Amino acid sequence: MSDAASHDGGVRSSSAAHLASAAFHTRIDEALADGQLQRAISFTADRLATGRATAFASLPHAEELRNAAQRIRAHTVAHLDRYLVEFTSNAERLGCHIHWADTADDATRLVVEIAQANNVSLAVKSKSMLTEEIRLNAALESAGVRVVETDLGEFVVQLAGDRPSHIIVPLVHRRREFVAALFRDKLGATADEVATIPAMTAFARKTLRDQFVNAGMGISGVNLAVADSGTLCLVTNEGNGRLTTTLPRVHVALLGLERLVPTSADLGVILQLLARSATGQSTPVYTNLLTGPRRRGVEGGAPGEPDGPDQVHIVIVDNGRTRLLGSALAEILACVRCGACLNICPVYRHIGGHAYGGVYPGPVGSVVMPGLEGLDAWSELPQASTLCGACLDVCPVKIDIPRLLLELRKQAVQQRLAPWWLKAAIRIFGAVATRPAVYRAVGNVVGRVGSALARSGWFSRLPGPLSAWTGSRDFPAPAAKSFTQSWRPTRRTREARP
Amino acid sequence: MTDARDRVLGAVRDALLRATLPHSAAVRPFYVVPDDQTTKADRIAQFTSALIALTGEVHEAGSLDAICDLIAQIARRDNATRYLSWSDEAIECPGLAAGLLSRGMRRVTYDLPVDQAGRLGAARSLATVELGVTGADAALSDGGAIVLASGPGRGRLASLLPPVHIALVKSDRFYGSLPALLAARPDLVARGSNFVVVAGPSRTADIEMMLTHGVHGPKHVHAILIP
Repeated sequence: MSDAASHDGGVRSSSAAHLASAAFHTRIDEALADGQLQRAISFTADRLATGRATAFASLPHAEELRNAAQRIRAHTVAHLDRYLVEFTSNAERLGCHIHWADTADDATRLVVEIAQANNVSLAVKSKSMLTEEIRLNAALESAGVRVVETDLGEFVVQLAGDRPSHIIVPLVHRRREFVAALFRDKLGATADEVATIPAMTAFARKTLRDQFVNAGMGISGVNLAVADSGTLCLVTNEGNGRLTTTLPRVHVALLGLERLVPTSADLGVILQLLARSATGQSTPVYTNLLTGPRRRGVEGGAPGEPDGPDQVHIVIVDNGRTRLLGSALAEILACVRCGACLNICPVYRHIGGHAYGGVYPGPVGSVVMPGLEGLDAWSELPQASTLCGACLDVCPVKIDIPRLLLELRKQAVQQRLAPWWLKAAIRIFGAVATRPAVYRAVGNVVGRVGSALARSGWFSRLPGPLSAWTGSRDFPAPAAKSFTQSWRPTRRTREARP
Repeated sequence: MTDARDRVLGAVRDALLRATLPHSAAVRPFYVVPDDQTTKADRIAQFTSALIALTGEVHEAGSLDAICDLIAQIARRDNATRYLSWSDEAIECPGLAAGLLSRGMRRVTYDLPVDQAGRLGAARSLATVELGVTGADAALSDGGAIVLASGPGRGRLASLLPPVHIALVKSDRFYGSLPALLAARPDLVARGSNFVVVAGPSRTADIEMMLTHGVHGPKHVHAILIP
């Protein structure tokens, strides 16, 4: 009974995986055919990756800091229950409202309820990948709450009805002409207002200021939360994160349940690495630490703070994170979302963020998406890697992403999500490789025939299921003489020496 | 609500029994911030060049009169006559408001109302003020950053809403880096509801990676070093 059930499941998920795989390859082909996208991504990724390298070269004790950051995050994730309890009790003591959400739907429902309880019709939002993940904007809009993205890149993405294509630089796939046309068509900007990038930036400032001073609620993500003080840390360059968490009466922060550090000293260590990894800056323009709502004065006594939100709500979101935590992929929860692994990845640099199909692209996304939502729909992502290890080399918290990708590939085979021909090929290879005589014979034939058929050492087209490989890259031709053939005489020569 | 808390925490505890986590230690790891070998003069020099590299400006003023003259001079560039500010007490610069008033500059004080309509009205009017003046709780040579903790008389908006921000920085408050500051002054983080590290003017590179200043926060940042 259980066997049959698991077999059925295997068949169903296998076909779902193949659908997802076909869609993935279509997206890759589209991305590779888009010359402008190719130029934009490689330009941006180069700039960010070079900036990162320069920033780390001038950072004293960089390697010690990375080791410390790795230990801090690994320790926190391994004791997440303890730090969640410590963080929430401190935040509550300061007057924050804590909400817990098992799923994306729970999280969006909670935010809608907070908006409705405060009669909010307009909310401003500071860039947050978690809110993309749970599709918060759609939920708020359908409840009659208008949400305005305030990060310049996200603002443009929202106006265009598009999706961000990079964790840090959401607009990497668009050029200035696109933004100019959008501002003219959707916002009635004049020709002067979109003449240059600084002019467009000034126009966006003016437009978004109107939203900030009229918004009843500010929504943000959280870079990291500090357990021992109940503090939220939000890092931005534009200042929209500060405005979002200062002007509106109500601040709602969405916190992925893994994004904690024990103390502010630990936060300091990670902040030394975060902006350097993300954009190559030694310090982001605004490192904003929020500890509770504004402190009110005492009537006729001590004065209070003149500004800041009167209500702070923190929504702690699971949405698949405990599934990830309870798996062999738990290490990925140490991620601080800097985006360095995207910029350095040879695959990301060619296909861009949208081709991955998930909210989180690049190497980190190839672990996070299947980890959060299961391998069925995302079994191709762990294959979209050369396992070159560049992502591990740049990771500020030293997550072994190649190991996690290999783990996912293993799981895909175990869950029967790998294509039939791959399994068949591996079985045949196993049968051949364990019989030395057969192996030698097959090697000789494949070498001789293969090298005769190939053009200048490469196959650009292979027949049958092998075309899945040559559809997107060439396959190297085998050498005319197999390794065993070449190696034998050499060994005899060496052994013959006195 | 308590149910959701128990469910999520229960799921976390359950998952931790199965989690594969290399590099995790049972004891909280401790990172010792390396000793800062630099002198105060080094730190000020490094702060100055870092802030200037970010298009900020650094000035020095030795007396109240010199401070007021400098601020008035900066204000004239942008035709600013009104400014948001920390209190003189919070800036630790007694007589500043009076000195600036005698130079034609009016301080706009506020306490954002709790009711929604009043609050939005106040926000709209504060957003028109041209200049912001604050003190600084610390300055960091790493990154040319100034550190501001909120509190009574220490509004967040003075360093955020106006297009120009001037911070008066006492010369004995320079630290090498944020970790060094957090090690020396752990009390600062949670002293008020907001602790912010500001490194130069607001900036974005979201369109074609072109660096542009003043997108949401101040476009111009000045530090005036005071005794």
